Amino acid sequence: MKKTSNGLTRRTVLSGAAAVGLAGVAHAQTPAEIKVGLIVPLSGIYTRPGQVMKMGAEMGIEHINAQGGIKALGGAKLKLVVIDCGDTTEKAKNAAQRMVAQEPDLVAATGSYLSSFTLAVTEVTERAELPVLTLSYSDLLTDRGFKYIFQTAATASRQSELGLPTLMKLAENASGKKPKTVAMLMDNTATSVATAKALKERLFAQEGLQLVVEEVWTPPLSDATPLIQKVRSTKPDLLLFMPNAVSDAKLGLEKISEFGLGQGKIPTVSFSITIAEPDMLQSVSPETVQGIMTIVANWGSKGHEALIAELKAKYKEPWMTQNVISTYGDMWLMKEALEKAGKADRNAVAQAFRTMDAGPSKYYPGGQLKFDEKGRRIGAGVVIVQWQSGVPVTVYPPELAQAQPFWPKK
Amino acid sequence: MLRTRSFLPPLLFTLAYAALSLGVTNSYYQLILTLVPVWAVFGLSWNLLSGYTGLISFGHAAFFGIGAYATALGQIYFDISPWLLIPVAAVLGGIAGLLIGFPTFRLQGHYFALAMLAYPLAILYVFEWLGFQEVTLPIKRNAPIAYMQFSDPHIYTLLGLAIMLATIVLTQVIERSRFGMALLAIKQNEAAAEAAGINTLAWKLRAITLSGAIAATIGGFYAQVLLVVTPQSVFGMLVSAQALTVAMFGGVGTVWGPVIGSVILIPLAEVLHAEAGDRFPGIQGVIFGFAIVCVILLAPEGLFWKLRDLLRKRMAPKAAAADVPETAVANVTALKPASQQRAATGEIMLEVKNLSRSFGGLKAVQNVSFKLHQNEILGIIGPNGAGKTTLFNLLNGFLKPSEGEVLIGGRNMSGQRPHVICEAGIGRTFQVMRPFLRMSILDNVVVGAYVRARSDEVARKLASDAVARVGLSAVADRLAGELSTKELRLMELARAIAGQPRILLLDETLAGLGHGEADEVVAVIQQLARDGTTIAIIEHTMQAMVRLVDRFVVLDHGAVITEGLPEVVTRDNRVIEAYLGKKWVGHAAN
Repeated sequence: MKKTSNGLTRRTVLSGAAAVGLAGVAHAQTPAEIKVGLIVPLSGIYTRPGQVMKMGAEMGIEHINAQGGIKALGGAKLKLVVIDCGDTTEKAKNAAQRMVAQEPDLVAATGSYLSSFTLAVTEVTERAELPVLTLSYSDLLTDRGFKYIFQTAATASRQSELGLPTLMKLAENASGKKPKTVAMLMDNTATSVATAKALKERLFAQEGLQLVVEEVWTPPLSDATPLIQKVRSTKPDLLLFMPNAVSDAKLGLEKISEFGLGQGKIPTVSFSITIAEPDMLQSVSPETVQGIMTIVANWGSKGHEALIAELKAKYKEPWMTQNVISTYGDMWLMKEALEKAGKADRNAVAQAFRTMDAGPSKYYPGGQLKFDEKGRRIGAGVVIVQWQSGVPVTVYPPELAQAQPFWPKK
Repeated sequence: MLRTRSFLPPLLFTLAYAALSLGVTNSYYQLILTLVPVWAVFGLSWNLLSGYTGLISFGHAAFFGIGAYATALGQIYFDISPWLLIPVAAVLGGIAGLLIGFPTFRLQGHYFALAMLAYPLAILYVFEWLGFQEVTLPIKRNAPIAYMQFSDPHIYTLLGLAIMLATIVLTQVIERSRFGMALLAIKQNEAAAEAAGINTLAWKLRAITLSGAIAATIGGFYAQVLLVVTPQSVFGMLVSAQALTVAMFGGVGTVWGPVIGSVILIPLAEVLHAEAGDRFPGIQGVIFGFAIVCVILLAPEGLFWKLRDLLRKRMAPKAAAADVPETAVANVTALKPASQQRAATGEIMLEVKNLSRSFGGLKAVQNVSFKLHQNEILGIIGPNGAGKTTLFNLLNGFLKPSEGEVLIGGRNMSGQRPHVICEAGIGRTFQVMRPFLRMSILDNVVVGAYVRARSDEVARKLASDAVARVGLSAVADRLAGELSTKELRLMELARAIAGQPRILLLDETLAGLGHGEADEVVAVIQQLARDGTTIAIIEHTMQAMVRLVDRFVVLDHGAVITEGLPEVVTRDNRVIEAYLGKKWVGHAAN
């Protein structure tokens, strides 16, 4: 473990140096350090989202420290402890145990991308009384009666509740008529299943939508032809395409395009950030994805221009996904709680999260910086992102929109 | 006495481990200490089936996952305590083993392994389809102990250890019993095992049932440790692989193998992950994989066997000096040519009536009839491809006749399973020797004795009698792997007679032996006949056969061309023609 801390120190020194440079302060006094954790996948198949979350966390820490650290604690600086939670539930649990056992002075943590990992991690942190912020949106996370988990994103069922009506309005405004039929193609991961459940049980009926095709696959998708064939033969007004792996998204979209259903012939909507990841452009052309929309819990939006520019310059990321902006926001939320708690103590920080009421949120869409008794952020909203000329831009809600949405016309 | 002494090492190991665990206060290290016995037990459960029977299972996650899900879902939906659910999980795992084993044991080798691979993957999708992508155990703040939720992580380790100790002891008991012997015999040669009177299907089903029950138990416990169950984390490929990895690394077919594998690999993987994972993401997998590849290359059977072989080698020079008379000599009464013509008078032991068997268009055995009298030595000869071995396979039940009857002691036994025919009193040896190389001669022979023995002691007694009869008593404790061809032939003979058959079928017992060696074996066979065993022998080497047998049956193209006394048969033109071709018939006449 000694080695690890050395590595971390080196990294933190580097970022600290950068922070000092940014602030233009030559000699800062040496304030106490406050450790916060980032427990994300940095090895295995989920490495990429983990790395992106790390970028957000590093930027957040840098900015907070550059702006004077935690004022209530005499300008104490935040220090990021990065822990790799691997690519299995067991590894995530082990990593969480390592985090609480070997970093006893952590005051809060954030993680862990996949909701299965977050579930395992929070089983450990709950018992260790370490508050954890998460951008995972499985409803189960905050349905367990846990007291130390705080979910900043709208839950999966809430996202579909919020997203679908908005989408319908968008369609009506842009095309002049409401969609009547819908096809749903989804993988069977926990997120998709939860979303689909809410859609099928309530929302379709509520919006007067008739489900004409429903197909489920187990990732990885090997051939999308039969799925898209069904869509073509039924010609729905709306296609919900819900992959959670870039390769599946690519296969599906290519097939949609090949069958001549792309370019808005059938408006296509997704419910995850997968379809708007930068990796998508490595495998499909901007024309193929043009107009495709996705409903997500967070995205780089209006008001984040400087951040997006910095992200581009520093990490060569073309745009800001949920993983970056939410993790960046988590750092500020931790700062907020530390200021409120007035001491670097995990239980005090947890209590601060519970009682916090810090007004409108800057880095999460909609609602307040305030949590309900389950640990869900009150008023957490969604954003709709649309591919426009090779970039997924926020098109809804209007106050965050970077561009006007367009509804693909038949 | 022997029993209690052998249980001492696992007990000491467990106590030492428990002491170590109690000394560790860091909850992360404690978690690793908990996972070691978990994966060790899973490896042991795999070893119980695959290690001992040699039927590789790539799908042990099926049982593990069933246990984990049973324990998790029982708590969520019925609010039952895991203290009850884990035993229930064991029962479910056992049932699953039986259900999976029954159809799958029809397959062998790679086909079995691949079929096993499919089960957990199929079940994984079923659980995803049922909507159990993520299941978490409800936190019980009021009655944590009743729900196996301890705030003190030591208790998990101790529970894991208790399960491990129980599994080790169970495995040891099985290893030394008829059960273990049967499984080992199946591993070495399933056909030979069946011919030695072992009901292979029954033993395999017992093994997979028990193995499934153990895997499900530890799966249930694992769910309790992990607190979150996802199909990937309990049914995934990596889970099945974990069982193989720890067992193959540590040593297959021994109780210590999975334990050694787990004790080394699980902490190693974690340490690599913790120390290297965040600086060189993924490097842990590379190092871990490389370490396993190296060990598999250097010690293909696992660390345990490698170390044992090294130790044995170091001990060997001393031992060799101690007992000089190494070579076994079959001290059996020398040949007595005069002992012939016992035949044709005694009671009929075996009667074959119009036996036929075809493989598609090929009639391998057609319409063969002959009788075998008590105490007779019958030679069955014929050129290559005459159908001799097929005939034996029909007699001892490996093949079902297309037509005809095999009467043993007057009872029609045609079409029965080999182990049933063995019980009825027919023993056989094989053209290609299949000794159990890692076992001593005596243990090799014991396998054959179980068919007549009620208890392990009786089996040992019968086995040592059999070893004495073939003259191998002096070397009875040596490993089969160290023996010469002649000794192996004698050992196979001993294995066949340990079950006290009334009729012995010998398939090319003299093949590959030098001249002098063949004589020794011939002497043993004659002695057996004199002691009351009826023998049918297939052989190529006419010379030895003429001196050995009382009567010949000659086969060609699957049919009997002649039968009779040796001196008559060897002069028969049809026999010479079958062996040497037409043009030699004329020469022979001169």
